Amino acid sequence: MFKRLSYTRASTSKAVGLLLISPWLIGFLLFKFLPIVASLGLSFTDFYMLAPEETQFVGLANYIDAFQNSPIGLFVVITLSAIISTVPLQLGASILFAALLNSSRLKLPVFTRTLFFIPSIIPGVAILFMWFGFIDPNTGWLNRFILEPLGLLGVENAFTDSTFALLAIISSLWSIGPGILIILGAMQGMSKEIIEAARVDGAGPMVRFFGITLPVISPAIFFTLIINLIGVFGGVILLDRSSTFSGNSSPFGNLISYWMFDEWELGFAASLAWIFFVLVLLVIVFLFRTSRRWVFYPDQGGA
Amino acid sequence: MPVFRGLKRLLTPRTYVQLKRWEFLGTAVLNLLVFSFIFVYLFPTLYMLSASFMETAQLRDRNAPPYPARQVRYDYDGKERLVYQVPFGDEVRELALVNPGRTSSEFIDPDNPAAGLITWDGSWRTLVGVYRFHATLDNFATILESLRIGEMVQNTAVMALISGIGVVVSSIIVAYGFARFPLPGGNLLFYVMIATLLIPENITLIPTYFLFVRVLDWNGTWLPILLPFFFGNAVYIFLLRQNFKSIPKELEEAALIDGAGPLRTLFSVVLPQSWPVIITVTRLHFFYIWNETRQASLYLAIRRDLSPISFGIQNYQSLGPVQNQLQASALIVMAVPVIILLISQRYFMRGVLVTGIEK
Repeated sequence: MFKRLSYTRASTSKAVGLLLISPWLIGFLLFKFLPIVASLGLSFTDFYMLAPEETQFVGLANYIDAFQNSPIGLFVVITLSAIISTVPLQLGASILFAALLNSSRLKLPVFTRTLFFIPSIIPGVAILFMWFGFIDPNTGWLNRFILEPLGLLGVENAFTDSTFALLAIISSLWSIGPGILIILGAMQGMSKEIIEAARVDGAGPMVRFFGITLPVISPAIFFTLIINLIGVFGGVILLDRSSTFSGNSSPFGNLISYWMFDEWELGFAASLAWIFFVLVLLVIVFLFRTSRRWVFYPDQGGA
Repeated sequence: MPVFRGLKRLLTPRTYVQLKRWEFLGTAVLNLLVFSFIFVYLFPTLYMLSASFMETAQLRDRNAPPYPARQVRYDYDGKERLVYQVPFGDEVRELALVNPGRTSSEFIDPDNPAAGLITWDGSWRTLVGVYRFHATLDNFATILESLRIGEMVQNTAVMALISGIGVVVSSIIVAYGFARFPLPGGNLLFYVMIATLLIPENITLIPTYFLFVRVLDWNGTWLPILLPFFFGNAVYIFLLRQNFKSIPKELEEAALIDGAGPLRTLFSVVLPQSWPVIITVTRLHFFYIWNETRQASLYLAIRRDLSPISFGIQNYQSLGPVQNQLQASALIVMAVPVIILLISQRYFMRGVLVTGIEK
């Protein structure tokens, strides 16, 4: 009786529901949907920021230009290699730290968890300053306490491609806090019976971890993977530290920003943005496709 | 370990003691491992912490200790002399340098100045200074002089307050809609909302930047940064919705029967049970504004007096500060989020954990 009155009078509740979500819906249309469509439209024009009234339709010229004259292939490769060099490392570290934190033998569990989480909330500016101070050849600690004691050649110049690449990796490792927590949450939510049963059957710790724990928490791993991936693409989920070291956290994003803010060629920038968008979609669709093979959902009963 | 508890009766005392020993060893190794991971993981922050309290002279001395310290000085002949560790054969003496020379220098023994000057052969530049712990606050004073930290903090607070009210209220209302009411297309709109998280920022930035800067002429104002928050935020909506769905419906239904509208029910029945997640969302949003540099660099570059803290500190680099001042500015900008995290660690951890449950 109650239910019928309040929740199942479909027509009115649908209207109420729509009304309640309308702020998001309007925001979605204004700040997501229309801009994306507008970007698509702009990408077929020679829209110039400083002279918008002279805009002309140029067809596919921007796209042809992008593929023929700019190193777009290189940027696709750089973006993909950024994914390959950071995401597996992030995932591995998240799983390792979560497994360590999950141990009942760990002293001070909440405090250790917080310590692992701290780097993920450090503002991007602070990371930038800290990193370049840390690797400074004259006053920093990288040469003095890490490279030289190991007998390695020290860094001579703080601002080289390799130090920036290292910064990208460090900063990605310093953003795994939410991932650790998500995986840890999944590990703690596992039923103890499965592990106990496996132990009784004689499965060693390695078999238990790789054979049982990992498959059971695979949805959490997949969720973490997506979060990390979006981070590489320059997007933000959960914690935004506003990456500042390259203006944008993705190399492709930098290329687009260059055409936007240095050249003011919004039409061309829009075509690049759409190419990037398609690239992101392809990677994500690819991941969701393969996820069916390795992400285990108990209620669907398959591995 | 509970594993062994039941075994006690089954095993001989000796085996039991051996097992206990292994257990202790395992625990020790595990804890050592975790804390050394943490040490390595946080190593650069130790550098930053230490350098923030250092004097520039120490920073330039490669033989100085890693913690903030000051070279010991000794007042001799009306001047302050630096004290070094001077080797004499097997013995190392702590002596104050009086007359530095390229191949031989003259020192005085602070413990026994009456003995007169002591000559030592060798380059004094190779000597290691004698340091004692000494933390200086000069770097922070310099920053407070050259940057308007107060103004930046105030800007951050006002921005966080305005956009925080907007985003929290709108996200709560939207999340309630997603959690409790049937919508046209079923869950489709909810999935669309999750999918918007995957959209790269650049693609939406091109038209919106043009709209905000050229059409609406909002360059140099907070409007382009704050306005979008009044339409909710997908991540916060997701977190709130998960939480609302976990609350039993009965109370809400009773309120609806009593004639309360959906908004009234939301604010008087649902919200009082949802403070932890609301606090989590508010805090996430505060971190967002505190860390904000991206939008600020687009819209506030021409109005530096409106800078929020991170963007303001970022500009500090262009003033060419010495490394220890730069590290102190990093410490200032990261101190607040870290302190908030430490105070509220339990709440915060739980709040982020909510996301992992569904999906």
